[in-house]
Amino acid sequence: MDRIMKTLGIILQHEWRSLIADRTLWIVTPLFALLIGYGIYNGSTWVHFQQTTLAAARAEEGTRFARAQEEIAALEQGGKPASAFSNPRLPAVAAGRSGTRYALLPPGPLASLSVGQSDLYPYYFKVSSQSKQTFAYNDEVENPTNLLAGRFDLAFVILYLYPLLILALCYNLLSAEREQGTLQMILSQPVSLRQFVLGKIGLRALVVLFLTLGFSIAGFLLGEVEILAEGGWIRMLLWVGIVGGYGAFWFALAIIVNAIGRSSATNATALAALWLLFVLLIPSTLSVGVSALYPVPSRVEMVQATRRATAEATARASQLLSKYLEDHPELTAGGQTDPNDFAIRTLAIQEETERLVQPVLDHFDQQTLGQQALVDRFRFLSPAIVTQAALNEVAGTSLSRYRHFLSLVDQFHREWRAFFTPLVVRRVSLQANDYSRFPAFQFQEEPIDSVIRRVLTGILGMLFPTLLVGWCGFRALRRYSLAS
Amino acid sequence: MIRLIARKEFTEMLRDKRFHWAAGIVLLLLLVALLTGGRHHRDVKRQHDLAQAETREQWLRQPAKNPHSAAHYGIYAFKPKMLPAMLDRGIDPYVGQSVWLEAHKQNEFKHRPAQDLTAVQRFGELTAATVLQLLIPLLIILLSFSAFVGEREQGTWRQLLSVGVSRTDLALGKALGITGALGVLLVPATIIGVIALALTADQQLLLRSLPRLTGMLLSYLAYFGVFIGISLAVSARARTSSMSLVVLLAFWILNGLIAPRAVADIARHLYPTPSAFEFQQTLDREMRSGPDGHQTTDQRTAALKARVLKQYGVEKIEALPINFAGLSLQESEEHGNVVFDRKYGGLWERFGLQNRLKQLGAVVAPMLAVQSLSMGLAGTDFAHHRDFATAAEAYRRMLVKKMNDDLTYQAVNQDFTYLAPPKLWQTVEEFQYTAPSTTWALRSQAVSLSLLLLWCVSTFAAAIWTAQRSRNEG
Repeated sequence: MDRIMKTLGIILQHEWRSLIADRTLWIVTPLFALLIGYGIYNGSTWVHFQQTTLAAARAEEGTRFARAQEEIAALEQGGKPASAFSNPRLPAVAAGRSGTRYALLPPGPLASLSVGQSDLYPYYFKVSSQSKQTFAYNDEVENPTNLLAGRFDLAFVILYLYPLLILALCYNLLSAEREQGTLQMILSQPVSLRQFVLGKIGLRALVVLFLTLGFSIAGFLLGEVEILAEGGWIRMLLWVGIVGGYGAFWFALAIIVNAIGRSSATNATALAALWLLFVLLIPSTLSVGVSALYPVPSRVEMVQATRRATAEATARASQLLSKYLEDHPELTAGGQTDPNDFAIRTLAIQEETERLVQPVLDHFDQQTLGQQALVDRFRFLSPAIVTQAALNEVAGTSLSRYRHFLSLVDQFHREWRAFFTPLVVRRVSLQANDYSRFPAFQFQEEPIDSVIRRVLTGILGMLFPTLLVGWCGFRALRRYSLAS
Repeated sequence: MIRLIARKEFTEMLRDKRFHWAAGIVLLLLLVALLTGGRHHRDVKRQHDLAQAETREQWLRQPAKNPHSAAHYGIYAFKPKMLPAMLDRGIDPYVGQSVWLEAHKQNEFKHRPAQDLTAVQRFGELTAATVLQLLIPLLIILLSFSAFVGEREQGTWRQLLSVGVSRTDLALGKALGITGALGVLLVPATIIGVIALALTADQQLLLRSLPRLTGMLLSYLAYFGVFIGISLAVSARARTSSMSLVVLLAFWILNGLIAPRAVADIARHLYPTPSAFEFQQTLDREMRSGPDGHQTTDQRTAALKARVLKQYGVEKIEALPINFAGLSLQESEEHGNVVFDRKYGGLWERFGLQNRLKQLGAVVAPMLAVQSLSMGLAGTDFAHHRDFATAAEAYRRMLVKKMNDDLTYQAVNQDFTYLAPPKLWQTVEEFQYTAPSTTWALRSQAVSLSLLLLWCVSTFAAAIWTAQRSRNEG
């Protein structure tokens, strides 16, 4: 046993020497450091950009509230409003303009590491009493050509380039020794092929492990990850787990290709083909398949449906109004409502429009969910998809966290209306301090348990093929032939 | 001699099983991409045509109402698709597909299709453009990485030279052979594509898109030429065939994966754009106070009032032979138009600068040139989007002005109780957008075009040059 360990130690040492003697390592290492640094820098820039925007929104809300309160104070002193339609004492004006509040989605604790889908989704809404369609589509200003290219973030380096690094380290693990004729020489020594392979693989495994940790720790440090944030530690552990699992998969693939025993050039071609298959072909084919199976109805259709509904609701406005007040008798109780009140009429129209549009929106939701479910099921076809999904999940730039945010916004929107509708209908005149009592949006991170569950499923889904491939590789090594 | 070499290379490749597999897969993917691209194009086009007709119907069917409220109701413009867009979707998934044209505001295009898709799309879409830009170059590399170095490794190089074959002939012959093998794949694909186009699209449309399609074809051929040249040059220089493969693969990754993203981020850093929030805030501020910041809406209205009263020589607004509200509305539109032109113009200039930098990036990665050219010719690049947005905005201004003018001259001494007859809606012509010409599309591609040509010429020269100087031993 002792002797075996000693031989292994010698092999490791020798491998390490030849690895660092190789010129390529000295080119590749700084290049990767540069790529990682650039990726994290880009991710951080995006997070800072969002944070600045969120701060600006908060500041705007603050000044708007202060101005409304000042104006009310002036009105209470007997001043006259500039216009009847912008009087901040009117609940309808407060609910729709002067007192609206922002629903903000702060970037997740690891957001700077993976931009994910966050460059496509609006991350703040100015929630008002108007229908959701009026505030839900405030897309970020961005050059569409840049969106098409995608961001150069750490996740990109991990998904596309990290496997290549591993493959470059391992594609000629055995074939090079055989081609140089050194393999036969080594095996004439008291060392078995498996021992030798174990040593070679062991060292590279260490290198990959080191890379994994390096990638992650560099990310955490440079990406200004909030370690103390809720769930921060768990997310970091998960991140390391995913990157390690992804690396292990490519590592196993390199072993099996080497074990089959072809030349270095064939190995390189085969591994490049596999990389292409897993990183480009399967994902883009899946993407096509998913949209063919669950075609999202066109937004064009939705735009038209909304317009039809608005026209219909406006045409029936007066009927709607009486029906609205019939449906909500609690609103008229006590106060005297003017049936011609513009605000109430608007409320009635809005409610009807939303009722008419809802089926279209639901259909959208169903199809998107269907697509996502399909992707979730078929992501195991390629570890690259699994890894992408898991990295976004951990970074908080995935669809699921965004949907969680949207549901909170929905809830807040309902709350907002429930707060203001009675005030509008009763034609209450607001006081300055009423403004501080308006509902406020509070983002709550989605429960970490569900993140852990989804990410662990991904890691396990990657581990299974990795173990299978690795095991087959070791079995194939038994039949490894020394002659090329 | 060249013919002989080319025929030998060609026959050898066709007998190679690896070529069969690789070419088979690429051809299959290309056909799938053409099929799905065609279907997607047809669906979207039908939706947009229907929606455009419906929004026009809705406009015409408005009852008698105040022209200003008709202007508020407005109309939608849906971005039409050109035929070549089925080959290259370009920025279309990442840009809104429709815009609401209404009074007072130049709206943004809303609803980016990519927002409704899953994250998998970010790996890239399977379109004909992807296959042509990424996979075929890879196939070229596989076909030619061992062209010269392989001969050296097998010991046939010296034999060849000893029978007096010139190295230039060898390079040209090999290049021709690879081209021939590629032709086996591309010619049927092109024929199938053309037949499919002829069957699905109407003849007129096809005929009109012919210059654009030809342009795309030529760009891609030039791009493939670049890869053949590079592969041969590297193969002539490399010590071993695996070294040649590694170098070429590294270039492929730099070209297709790293450069597009890296350049996009550099462009963003060099030419930053404001956030939507900031953009909206400054827009609102300038709308309220004027671009110079010291003329409020009230002051502008007062100035207009004084001017109009003087023009008509009356003392009071009530005595005017026109409706002052209409005039005032139009005045504020004119003010807004100046602000919109500057704000949106400035933003789009920025996007243009970013895109130009991306075209310049083709110095490092020829894919950036062919990508830009392909999108430009397919009508799915930002320049085309901007052209459509500008046309839609011009239509909006025309529509709103027509409504305001009606209010000004027909609603004399009536306030907002004035109702315009439905025949007013007819006087607003239907929105007709004609896509810009091929020459227009190419004009914004000057950088890409010249860089692609430069790549083509220099790689060709490099292949010949390295072949002449290539080592005789491995």
